[in-house]
Amino acid sequence: MRLSSRDRRFSLSLVAPSIFLLLLVGVFPLVYLLVVSFQGITMTELDTSFQGLRNFRMLFDDERLWQSLLHTVIFTAIALPLELVLGLAMAQLFIDKLPGRPVFVALLVLPVVVSPIVAGATWSLMFDQRFGPINEVISWMLGGETTILWTIKPDLVYPAILLAEIWQWTPFMFLLLLAALSAVDKSQLEAAAIDGAGWWRTFFRIVLPAIWPVMAIAILIRALDLFRLFDIVWALTKGGPGTMTETISIFAYVKGFQQFETSYTAAVALMIIVLLSVVVMAALKRVELTR
Amino acid sequence: MNHPLSVARPCAALARSPLSVAIVALVATFAIATDASAQSAAQRAVDAAKPLCAGGKTITIVWEAGLQSLDPLNFSGPEWEKQTGCKVKVVEVPTAEMFTKIMQEFRAGTGAYDALNVIPAWMPDLAGAGALEPLDALVDKYGYRAELQKIAPTYRDNQMTVNGKIYGFPDDGDVFVMYYRKDIFARDDLKKAFKAKTGHELAVPKTWKQFDETAAFLTEALKKDGIYGAAFFREPPYTMYMFQERFRNEGGKFFDAGMKATVNNDIGVRVFNEMRAENKFMPPGVEKFGFVENLATFLKGQSAMTISWPPYGRFAAGYLANEKALDWVPKSTIAGKVGYAVPPGGHPQLAAGFALSVASTSKQKEAAYLFIQWLNSEDISMKRVQLPYALRDPFRDSHFTSKEYLAKWPDAKDYLAALKAGSQTGLLDLSLIQTDKYEEALRQGISRLWAGEDSKKILDDVAKQWDATTNQIGLDKQKAVYGAWAAKSGAYPK
Repeated sequence: MRLSSRDRRFSLSLVAPSIFLLLLVGVFPLVYLLVVSFQGITMTELDTSFQGLRNFRMLFDDERLWQSLLHTVIFTAIALPLELVLGLAMAQLFIDKLPGRPVFVALLVLPVVVSPIVAGATWSLMFDQRFGPINEVISWMLGGETTILWTIKPDLVYPAILLAEIWQWTPFMFLLLLAALSAVDKSQLEAAAIDGAGWWRTFFRIVLPAIWPVMAIAILIRALDLFRLFDIVWALTKGGPGTMTETISIFAYVKGFQQFETSYTAAVALMIIVLLSVVVMAALKRVELTR
Repeated sequence: MNHPLSVARPCAALARSPLSVAIVALVATFAIATDASAQSAAQRAVDAAKPLCAGGKTITIVWEAGLQSLDPLNFSGPEWEKQTGCKVKVVEVPTAEMFTKIMQEFRAGTGAYDALNVIPAWMPDLAGAGALEPLDALVDKYGYRAELQKIAPTYRDNQMTVNGKIYGFPDDGDVFVMYYRKDIFARDDLKKAFKAKTGHELAVPKTWKQFDETAAFLTEALKKDGIYGAAFFREPPYTMYMFQERFRNEGGKFFDAGMKATVNNDIGVRVFNEMRAENKFMPPGVEKFGFVENLATFLKGQSAMTISWPPYGRFAAGYLANEKALDWVPKSTIAGKVGYAVPPGGHPQLAAGFALSVASTSKQKEAAYLFIQWLNSEDISMKRVQLPYALRDPFRDSHFTSKEYLAKWPDAKDYLAALKAGSQTGLLDLSLIQTDKYEEALRQGISRLWAGEDSKKILDDVAKQWDATTNQIGLDKQKAVYGAWAAKSGAYPK
């Protein structure tokens, strides 16, 4: 049916507010970010003149930026597989009916509902050199007072941050994978068992393909979360010692909101957006979810 | 008080001759002037604010969150409202976010803040950006210059102006003080043992060499009783101030004549090395000590010496320890046993502190100005620095000699004497364009120091970052700002 021009105008007027809102919250900030990244706005200078590619050239010379990106990749590369494996193992453990299963699942999921900054502060207390239970337990085990500076010594800061991060987000993996595992076709598993397939074979040939779409999304969500890792690191080390644990989010925060390098931070943000868009599109393509 | 115009009435009969008219006019003018100068700056602010506050205006002031803000919330805010009718809205902001909030609001231009608490080291940045209102005209209009002169010299001469213009009233006598246990230093057994070991008397250290020797000895002698020779706050934001102080006391300069960073010179490296070595005679894990951990250690009697801001002295004396707002402060076990001294080197850091300013975007600048004049005045500041729950420290000459303050606890005279000494010899925080970038490099350097990295390498990196920041800002521009800062009396020891 062909709409009359009056009806078309009416339909457009109905969707116009939504489109306007979408443009306002989605496109405008992006365009504005792009504009600012070509200017020279700093804390003391409201220089809105066109600066060309100056800010983008600075990106390549900024050693701290690339280090923070590397730290982010390290956190992601270690935490993501560990969270996945642990989450999957826990889900496998809870797939069978157990007495009190709902209560245990609810308890296990608790860390996810805690705000990350609170989780970071809590772990900061846990790692406290004087009153923290972790050093207490180690001291008790070693039979003498032991002071371990978890958030200061270079060889301990990464394990400390990763422990807190994995504690908080493994339950998220667990929850999604438990749901996925619950949906695996039981008849296929029974058929495999009758045919004499072992556990590994069943897992790789039947279970993994069945849960893969959910697992892929869980990996993607966590990878993106890890890429913007901020709160736990901030609460534990503030990116230190020096900038040893500084992530790209902390770097952007410091540059943008402590040092007011507004235009440069806009260039950093654009770089992150481009980088993440490429990674996400490649990942989606790989798991064939774009269809 | 008589109204000055009442002087003119008895003279009415003489008012016919020109000479009489001249005499009457002269007397009346003198009387008005005398009355105006007799009136306190606080009262002048109140009188001038009343008409401005008619209709129930609200002054919004940014204040450091926590104990500091109990001053305007519990005392000065309600009092100002009672006297003028102007309400006071306090926006509490954590120290680390104050600069950001002030700048964000300024850039947004909403006029949400009228008055501000600013750390003096930020003034060049805030004034340069245009976020602060120059106050000279208002100071003259409301006759406040004379009372400003009575602020202790170090604060007055160093923390008030940028390029010769007044942008804030120094309002907090923050200065590092060394606290020590008098009872420990008076013990005969320790005196004998110290003399036997070192060949000289056990005394409150005046140099860092003496400090290290004394603290190491006391730790060795008293560790079995759970007492360490010294403890400091060692978290980088605090240690940054201690480094700045010590580096300059030892003869260090931050930049050379060409504005090249010299923080990585031999003095800097030596200070860094000594600071790290001192951790060995301090409580285990001292690298993580912040303000509260160090305070708790001292108040529990677990350290013989420490250096910190003035509130430690009040807390240690147990001054109004039953105050509800001070519930979090550990109960002092050392009241009456604490001595006060200027830290080793003789020139303590005026670490942070606060000045009161008016936001340039305020829509009621005059009312905001009058409020900060009133807060900062002799009369009102005298009450504010004695509030047990707030953290404003004495900053006017009159505060150090106040009979009321001197009687607060038995050793208050020694405490105020130490603060006064600090106010005469104190060293300014480094203050440049984008100071935070320089400070951040130093803070990161200190965290690397505690992590065990080589001092020279760390300071070379700090110097490199400082030079990069200077070049980014503009060498000549920053050089001029540094020159102005270095010319101030509190920049380097004289």
